[in-house]
Amino acid sequence: MTMLEVQGLEKVYRKGWLDRTPTFRLAADFTIEAPAIVGMMGPNGSGKTTLFELITGSNRPSAGRVTVQGQDIHKVRTDERDRLAIHYHQSYQVRHFRSLVPNLLLRKAASDYPMVHLFDEPQFNTQDGYIGFMLAFFRRLRAEGRLVFLCVHPNERFHLEILQEICEQFIFVHKGTVTELPDYPTLLAHPPARAYLGGLVERAPSSE
Amino acid sequence: MTLFAAEAIHKRFGARVVLENISLGFERDRVHGIMGPNGAGKTTCFNVLTGRHAPDRGRITFDGRDITGLAPQRIARLGIARSFQIMNLFDDTLVIENVLLALPAFRGRRTSVLGKVFEDAGLTDAALAVLDLVGLADRAWEKAAALPYGDRRALEIAVALAAEPRILFLDEPTSGLGAEATQGLARLLDRLRQRYTIVIIEHDMRFLFGLADRISVIHWGQVIAEGTPAELMADKWVKRSALGEVA
Repeated sequence: MTMLEVQGLEKVYRKGWLDRTPTFRLAADFTIEAPAIVGMMGPNGSGKTTLFELITGSNRPSAGRVTVQGQDIHKVRTDERDRLAIHYHQSYQVRHFRSLVPNLLLRKAASDYPMVHLFDEPQFNTQDGYIGFMLAFFRRLRAEGRLVFLCVHPNERFHLEILQEICEQFIFVHKGTVTELPDYPTLLAHPPARAYLGGLVERAPSSE
Repeated sequence: MTLFAAEAIHKRFGARVVLENISLGFERDRVHGIMGPNGAGKTTCFNVLTGRHAPDRGRITFDGRDITGLAPQRIARLGIARSFQIMNLFDDTLVIENVLLALPAFRGRRTSVLGKVFEDAGLTDAALAVLDLVGLADRAWEKAAALPYGDRRALEIAVALAAEPRILFLDEPTSGLGAEATQGLARLLDRLRQRYTIVIIEHDMRFLFGLADRISVIHWGQVIAEGTPAELMADKWVKRSALGEVA
């Protein structure tokens, strides 16, 4: 069964109820068939967290569908959506779901332990050793057949090392546009990604 | 053999998910370490294991018996003792009195008049024996408040041991201790490991890696890594960190 299908997904934020001028538009269309560790990057405000929220069902799309292991997550009971996908914040986890449809009319989650795990900028610190444990955790989830998203905002050389070491594919989010990139060299060749990573890549010996 | 096990524990407070599908097993007569960054759920984990909070889902067993949801006092009576991050001592009483109050033989007595207790040589001897275990027998007749910080921690452990536990949970025992007191505590726990199953939550990795037979790393309310100190140290990122210098 396909792990994750993001079909015609769109989230539009508007100025207000009266002035309907769009202020931000995120569009995504991609499919991830098999378990993987996917690196996600993009400048601040590009829509990464919104995309994570749409995938985990904590933010309602303006259009489109998110299907996790065959279930439309936005049609699952709000109190069971985290059995399909989890959004991990830096260290703590807060889950807040809202739905206009009462849980009574929504479906039960088909899984008990989530298939999709999204890590939103975990704090990587070379001093304390937790990087090693976190990477081991991502690998274990992957080995257990899960799909792992790792969102990193690289501002140090070792952040790129981590991404290169652990991610099998990448998603780059730029001004609300979501681009799939099959591997690390393709990521570096993608002009917006290249511009975003800037000096970190120039200085990287491994990219020469 | 596993003495204490937690299976698929979930715990949340409102929208905040603190423990998510945590499973842990503690072997008899071993020291088990639990570490994790701030806010990772370590103390809540302890509180759930020792019965202060009931888990939302999951099962806790002790010596094969299901203890999920039992009241803390009942759990304590089964032989599960814990110390707290913040000291819980009676400062104005004698060192030995702190231990006496925790002895099951004392708690079983009809009278709670402490003055009478010293007429009971059996009780006094039992309390002294516990103090001897932690190296405080010669300070038994001093006020608890007079003890230096490191000895206060040892006294706290003595109070926990007085209940004759089979498993001892320690919540950040090195907190507030200087380097020397931390070493003293490590030596004390190294002596106790022959008689007790010990579970330690700890921030001080050097301390924990020197002491524990097995360590579970908790982050995001889950066990993200587990193994012997040597196994955990083998990771290349761990070697690169300050933790790598411990080995």
